[in-house]
Amino acid sequence: MNKINWSKYSKPIILVCFILILSILRPKAFLSLNNFSNVLWSVSVIGIMVSGTIFVFLMGGIDLSIATLCALTAVVVVEVTHSMGDTPNAVAVGVLAALCTGIVAGLLHGLIITTFHIPAFLVTFATQSIFLGLAMVLTNNKIISCTVPAFTAIGAKKILGFPMPVYFMLIIAIISWFLLRKTVFGRYVYAVGGNPVASEISGINVKRMTIICYILSGLTTALGGIVLASMTQQASSSLGAGYTNDVITAGVIGGVSLLGGEGTVPGAIFGAVLMGLLNNGLNLMSVPSTHAGLVKGLVIIIAVAFDAMQHADQSRKKVKKVKTAKNGE
Amino acid sequence: MAGNTILEATHIYKSFSGVPVLQDVHFEVKAGEVHALMGENGAGKSTLIKIVTGVYSKDDGQIYWEGKPVEINNYQDCQKLGVACIYQELSVIPPLTVAQNVFLGREPRNGPFINYNKMNQMTQELIDKYQFPLKPTTIVDNLGIGQRQLIEILKGLSQNSKLLIMDEPTASLSGKEAEMLFHIIRTLREQGVSIIYISHRLEEVYMLSDRLTILRDGKNAAVLEKEEIIPAKVIETMIGKVVDESAGSRKMLHSDDSKPIRLDVKNLTDKSDRFRNISFQVHSGEILGLGGLIGAGRTEVVRAIYGVDKAASGEVYLGGKKLNPSPKSSIKEGIGFVPEDRRNQGFIPLLSTTYNVALTNYDIVKINGVAISDSDELAMSKRAIEAIDIRPSNPDKQVGVMSGGNQQKVVLGKWLMRNLKLLIVDEPTAGIDVGAKDEIYSILEKLASEGVAIIVVTSDLQELLRVSHRILVMRKGNIVKEFKNVEVTQSMVLAAGQGVQEAS
Amino acid sequence: MKNLSQTSMRRLISVGMLAFLVCLFTILAGYGKGNFFSSANLIEIIRDASIPAIIGVGVTFIIITSGIDLSTGSMMALVGMVMANVYEYTEWPFKVMILLGLLTGLLCGLVNGIIVAKLNVPEFIGTLATMSIYRAMTYIIAIRNENGVIKSQAMNHSQYVWLGTGVGKFYYVIMAMIAFVVIGQIVLRYTRYGTNLYSVGANRKAATLSGINVAKTRMIAYMITGVAVAVGAVFTTARLQSATTAIGTDFEFNPIAAAVVGGVALSGGSGDVIGTLIGALFMATLENGVRKLDMNTSFQYIIKGIIIIAVVIFDATYKSRMERKAREQGAKEGLE
Repeated sequence: MNKINWSKYSKPIILVCFILILSILRPKAFLSLNNFSNVLWSVSVIGIMVSGTIFVFLMGGIDLSIATLCALTAVVVVEVTHSMGDTPNAVAVGVLAALCTGIVAGLLHGLIITTFHIPAFLVTFATQSIFLGLAMVLTNNKIISCTVPAFTAIGAKKILGFPMPVYFMLIIAIISWFLLRKTVFGRYVYAVGGNPVASEISGINVKRMTIICYILSGLTTALGGIVLASMTQQASSSLGAGYTNDVITAGVIGGVSLLGGEGTVPGAIFGAVLMGLLNNGLNLMSVPSTHAGLVKGLVIIIAVAFDAMQHADQSRKKVKKVKTAKNGE
Repeated sequence: MAGNTILEATHIYKSFSGVPVLQDVHFEVKAGEVHALMGENGAGKSTLIKIVTGVYSKDDGQIYWEGKPVEINNYQDCQKLGVACIYQELSVIPPLTVAQNVFLGREPRNGPFINYNKMNQMTQELIDKYQFPLKPTTIVDNLGIGQRQLIEILKGLSQNSKLLIMDEPTASLSGKEAEMLFHIIRTLREQGVSIIYISHRLEEVYMLSDRLTILRDGKNAAVLEKEEIIPAKVIETMIGKVVDESAGSRKMLHSDDSKPIRLDVKNLTDKSDRFRNISFQVHSGEILGLGGLIGAGRTEVVRAIYGVDKAASGEVYLGGKKLNPSPKSSIKEGIGFVPEDRRNQGFIPLLSTTYNVALTNYDIVKINGVAISDSDELAMSKRAIEAIDIRPSNPDKQVGVMSGGNQQKVVLGKWLMRNLKLLIVDEPTAGIDVGAKDEIYSILEKLASEGVAIIVVTSDLQELLRVSHRILVMRKGNIVKEFKNVEVTQSMVLAAGQGVQEAS
Repeated sequence: MKNLSQTSMRRLISVGMLAFLVCLFTILAGYGKGNFFSSANLIEIIRDASIPAIIGVGVTFIIITSGIDLSTGSMMALVGMVMANVYEYTEWPFKVMILLGLLTGLLCGLVNGIIVAKLNVPEFIGTLATMSIYRAMTYIIAIRNENGVIKSQAMNHSQYVWLGTGVGKFYYVIMAMIAFVVIGQIVLRYTRYGTNLYSVGANRKAATLSGINVAKTRMIAYMITGVAVAVGAVFTTARLQSATTAIGTDFEFNPIAAAVVGGVALSGGSGDVIGTLIGALFMATLENGVRKLDMNTSFQYIIKGIIIIAVVIFDATYKSRMERKAREQGAKEGLE
């Protein structure tokens, strides 16, 4: 019982420790309200994306195309806005077009994976290149800026002192949490991730579930791309670089098992916040962002290795049990 | 033909967590004989073989190899002696050639390079010696299961094995492939190789073996010489005459045909010919036992009825309504299904009792708009826990860490929450302790008394007699026998499954 | 290993794809201005294909064991940067610098191997993580100017410049590639280690039963890849005569793409180094042709991605069809 309690509170404890360390090391810079909203600002994109990709992770899948799909959707929203005459309506159409791009990308992933039984990492490994190419072709390999007020407001407008993306993240996260925690769909996601064969026998359409999860992942990635483009007021083929790793790391830190079936949205959001604090903290201590990859990579390896060890333990226990239960036959 | 004793195991004892599995077992194989090993499920055949091949350690007893006492602690030990085991789960490497597979890990070399000429030649010599229909340079990818099995045998022979152990070798072979294997086995015998042949199929044993050791409840029941191997007698020995006359293995079956027909299966035929033209009916409130040997097609039939696999042709009617079987529609129509492979097919190990029980029941759990009512879901889980006494009774407990019996109760429990018309259970008590077994039997009986039609597939003859109101026996994909309103014994069921005439 | 019906069929297809591409560009380039089908350009293509092919030898070994390595590009940057540091801050001889580079590659491969084979982290996750680790380490040890800004380190040692050239148009990197491919193919086909690679990829359990050390086999494959990447890094920096943090961004993708196009199935147990070479030539031809046709070079990413998906889908459906056929045939004919 003690153990369960510890793991339950381990996340807030880690978070508090992290904040304490940063406030002691860099009290002035870190504790300013401005910095805090900065942290949230940078966290929000990861948070938005991980709220959708968590569905894919829970199914035991993976998406290696997050970064380039993010770039592609950012390019789409900006390009469409420009071509429609930079009006607020154009922005709306642009956003819609970008969201559709995300949905189509997710649908494509889901269909290929389920129809041909090809590993997700391979499919998304290939589409990553396709999305990158599309983004490059659309922008002609240039950075395109977009300063239409209606568009930049998405990322910059503040309500009650917090930038809009934070609210987006909260809304998306709450929807995700609700879907996963409160609806039949969510129950099925955990079931399929935990045991697809048993789920099929229990009357769940595993194929359809898989496709829907990839669509959700594409949708939130697109939203992340839109927000990112709006925040930076530009779009280019390299816009989302590094986000694939950041999103996966956020999930893993938050206790999402990449082997499927385990993980929660609050956990993933916690992961995103911790990632934001990490990036921010390293930044405040003058460690350049390019170095953060070292820490993130180590985190992934340690978390997954630990996960794999526990799974191995469980299956070993299982074998032992079967041996004794079967009485040797 | 048969010469000196090559392997002898005497006074073998083995128990698992206090439960004796082998008691004072004696087993002996002579050079150049095909020695069959038979026994009902749980008789201890596999345990004995695992002790001989070093997978398990024995509690007591002694193994002799060619007259000398030996210790076999792992598979390598037994390979060194000259014993090779042909695994049911084939261990060939498809992208490699026959020769590469035969000499895997022991390739003849010139310096660092594999000497393919020599290796192919050595393989060819072996093939010629035992007249295998193989070529050394064929890629295994292009071969059928039967030929792949021959490669395994060849692998054993290449290590100069004098004793081959074959565990249910014909389980996944077609008739023709099996014929080929039998031919090979006879050739091997002529060359002086001993074979331990483990099979459920009496006809094969009858046809091939020189001697037969029968185990029953972990003890020696008999060792029969070739001329003594008479099917009826073998069955009698496997079941045990005393047991056969005791209460548990003799039962008067009673069917009540006045009740309405719940399930009507007409001419169900499988795509890959694992069963054909299956027709039967189950009445409301009836427990139909489906008996037969493993691999007779029983599991395949019930999977097709439930809709996990699609049948090629045939119809299924539930309460007069024609079904188009799929798990989803079956559940909707009131069919429940407990699969044979509990861990891989039955439940979601990472999820709690509550979520596992509710998994098939979200059509009856209260849902507010789109949000599941947690309290209603929990209430359902608590009802299940109470109804069939799942332990631990904590509804949030992960099912993966429970005991086998309680896992099975969770799997069963989710169906009890529904308004069931038909329940199909496949090997419901495999790997479950005695106490939980009885509980599961009484659940089935209670359900039947409430009017649910039940199909029980089981390889445990005692269980089959215990729960069934009527028994169908399958053999090689056909229903070969019905026991209805008669007194039936374990021997009769077994004989029907084996396709032999019952001894009077 | 004679007469692999499935494999030779696959080989035929990849050679056909390469031939088709060459024909296509030859015809199209007739209308465009660039001269695609000239000996100079064809050698250029082979030169471009060399480094992906060298790395591809190692990657092929890994994929045959049903693994993957996403970190090769970052590893390449790290090796380049290690050598740049040696070049900048020491007076050590040229040979030592290269040796240290190779050692770095070996070490990176070992780390990947341990993570994957010993810690049992799924290959694509583990190497995705090391991909970001190696890249970050490249930045950390990157050479900076007095203001702390990363600069690209010029490496114009005469011997280094020499490495980037060749005998006439026959570049040393092409020779190195040929050596790698030939040795790789021999190891794969004629040594126990090669057979072990196929066994581990096709049936891990059976390999263990036959006394093959699965973890060791996998780890060595990762280490070989590390060395191959280091060799690739040496030639890349020699050609560029500098080391930057951005080196190798395409090399996460290209060697794997080459292997996939060349018929190395990601499910493991099939394919060979020659196939990967064909795949690398295919990719280089594609890049070169797109350039020569004055198309937007970005199109190559789209085309590459689509080709990989198409090839993988083909492999998956073809394999399942062949398996079904073999099963039916086996059941029908029995044994001859």
